[in-house]
Amino acid sequence: MDTYLIPGLDGIAYGLLLAIAAAGLTLAFGAGGVLNLAHGTLIAAGGYVAATTSTGTWPSLAAAVTAATALGAAGGGVLAAATARLRGRGHLDQALLTFGIALIGADLLTTVFGADIRRPRLPAALDTTLTIAGHPYPADRLAALTAAVIITTIGYAVLHRTRAGRLIRATVDDRHMVAGIGVDPRTVDTTVLIASGALAGLAGALCTPILGVGPATAPTTLLLSLVIVVCGGLGSVPGAMVAATGVGLIQTIGVITIPALAPYLLLGAMALLLLTRRRPLPGMSG
Amino acid sequence: MTRLCCRLRRGLVSATAAAALLTATACASTPADPDAVRIGLLVSLSGTYATVGQDMQAGFRLYLDSHGGQLGGRKIDLVVGDEGDGPATAVPAAQKLLERDRVLALTGLVGGATVDKVQVLTTARKIPLLGANARPAFTSEGGKPRDLTYTWHTSYNSDEPGIAIADHVKAQVGDGAVYAIGPDYQGGWDELRGFTDTFTRLGGKLANPDGKALFTPFPATENFLPYLNKAAATNPEAVYTFYAGAAAVAFVKQYAQSDLKDVPLYAAGFLTEGSVLTAQGPAATGIRNVLNYSPTLSNAANQAFIAAWSAAGNSNPPTTFAMASYDAAAVLDRALAAVAGNVTGPKLNEAIGKVGRVTSPRGDWQFEPTEHRPVQRWYLREVRADGPVLSNVLVQDLTTLPAT
Repeated sequence: MDTYLIPGLDGIAYGLLLAIAAAGLTLAFGAGGVLNLAHGTLIAAGGYVAATTSTGTWPSLAAAVTAATALGAAGGGVLAAATARLRGRGHLDQALLTFGIALIGADLLTTVFGADIRRPRLPAALDTTLTIAGHPYPADRLAALTAAVIITTIGYAVLHRTRAGRLIRATVDDRHMVAGIGVDPRTVDTTVLIASGALAGLAGALCTPILGVGPATAPTTLLLSLVIVVCGGLGSVPGAMVAATGVGLIQTIGVITIPALAPYLLLGAMALLLLTRRRPLPGMSG
Repeated sequence: MTRLCCRLRRGLVSATAAAALLTATACASTPADPDAVRIGLLVSLSGTYATVGQDMQAGFRLYLDSHGGQLGGRKIDLVVGDEGDGPATAVPAAQKLLERDRVLALTGLVGGATVDKVQVLTTARKIPLLGANARPAFTSEGGKPRDLTYTWHTSYNSDEPGIAIADHVKAQVGDGAVYAIGPDYQGGWDELRGFTDTFTRLGGKLANPDGKALFTPFPATENFLPYLNKAAATNPEAVYTFYAGAAAVAFVKQYAQSDLKDVPLYAAGFLTEGSVLTAQGPAATGIRNVLNYSPTLSNAANQAFIAAWSAAGNSNPPTTFAMASYDAAAVLDRALAAVAGNVTGPKLNEAIGKVGRVTSPRGDWQFEPTEHRPVQRWYLREVRADGPVLSNVLVQDLTTLPAT
């Protein structure tokens, strides 16, 4: 059992980071109806900015996280402006547009930052290991886990306890009703895409010390986010949380328990879930 | 500019008209010299092994530039292709070099799986393939053993590092068990098989529960911690591994953060070779590894090579990747000098077979007559601070492979 303690902790940390990334994607789809295939590119961009900004001091780390979030938000704004004109033309047009943006973005990133995998330099206090139940565990992962828990809590509170959050959830459920109470749902769409971009940038910054950021980051994180969004139910934030934790645990405990199936485990589990699921996951709207 | 040009050519991205126009003009502005000999260099410029590919390109160009852009008295037109992460990107790039650019020799090639696939293409066209990195155990084609007439390597067989170090590891661990772990692809299988086969034949025990090396998904795995902690549960006396490029950085950093951190780590030297060592930093200190080259070798050819390497503006010591590619250029230099008249694939191939003893930074070597790969020394190295930078410092000679 002891063998699974650290991988389990690791899986939850990984899962929560993925949840932050996927929450943005699922919200943008649920509220704005935008299937954003450039989401992974925003995550990668956040990661690159964080990796190049953080130089091993606390102020540079703070600057890195802020810059990554801001870049993500700006990217979200661009996507909002780009997709607004395609409203009513269906998901395929949006998917095509955001996919094109993703390809151009990915190429720009490798041109600017090179093909190497980059990792940020962290303050000495984070670049060490702590002892948990007799096992060493990297401090940077624990910090990322803590940050992920805090962000998730804040996100949940914003979504459920503030007017802005209620409006977003209302738009997911029935955008005509939102228009009926005097709020332009398109403003909500734009806000959600910007917030979703900010979350993507932030998730990128938090993942980088652990996984590094490179040319494979954008497609990998997009794929994982899509798996999470599909498994958790389109537009459902709690569903995404559950699915993300599941993905995290499969990627850590699953791969060491059945190493022979490691490459197929994640997509296999997704296929199984989709085939057998009779009722929506908790919080799924339909 | 060529790099940007090739990358743009690859994707849908070429639709970005302005950029495409710019690169197109840049490409067109270098007309090919009709008398020049066209050589293809296929290396990873993107993906996990991009740093290895860049090193190999730097090594080849170092030799070329220090010989006035000529090999064997002939002007060289070097065309570079991107190998990417393996055959999926490498085969189209190789086909382009062979069919459109009509290169007379193909060199470089980072991955064993790439060599396995591309070797068939070059052999069919009677073009010498002068690989400068991984060499796989060629599988038979249609029941017949592979025709290696046109296949040469200035590097090594992928299983040789493991074979060379197994005896030393056995002596160190005595009756203790060794855990073997590596990436799940051709190169990983070959590297690990070399070690596990030789080690168990010498009476060594593997700590892996099923007695077989553990393979991690490649290139998907960046989180090694679960695997490492699982390995620690088997209480190994030492760990043997092979990773290269970006995966090597993640592996070494996470090894120092895992339950295995106090267990001696032995590795094929690629784990700590080149730019990855800088990225690994102090976490790599003390790793004992095996390779056919160390920048601290004291022979005259190596000192000249190191001097030229630094003079070219490289701050880190040269790697075995750069060295083997430098040697590939040296082999082509001597072979092209021996070709009379027009250069063709078969004539160049015959000349490569007659280059004899090659003076190299790794110490002199020569091609094994039937397998066409070097007969060379292998060295045990340890990662230590060498002045201001970490370096793979020579500890001792291990053995000469292939054994005669």
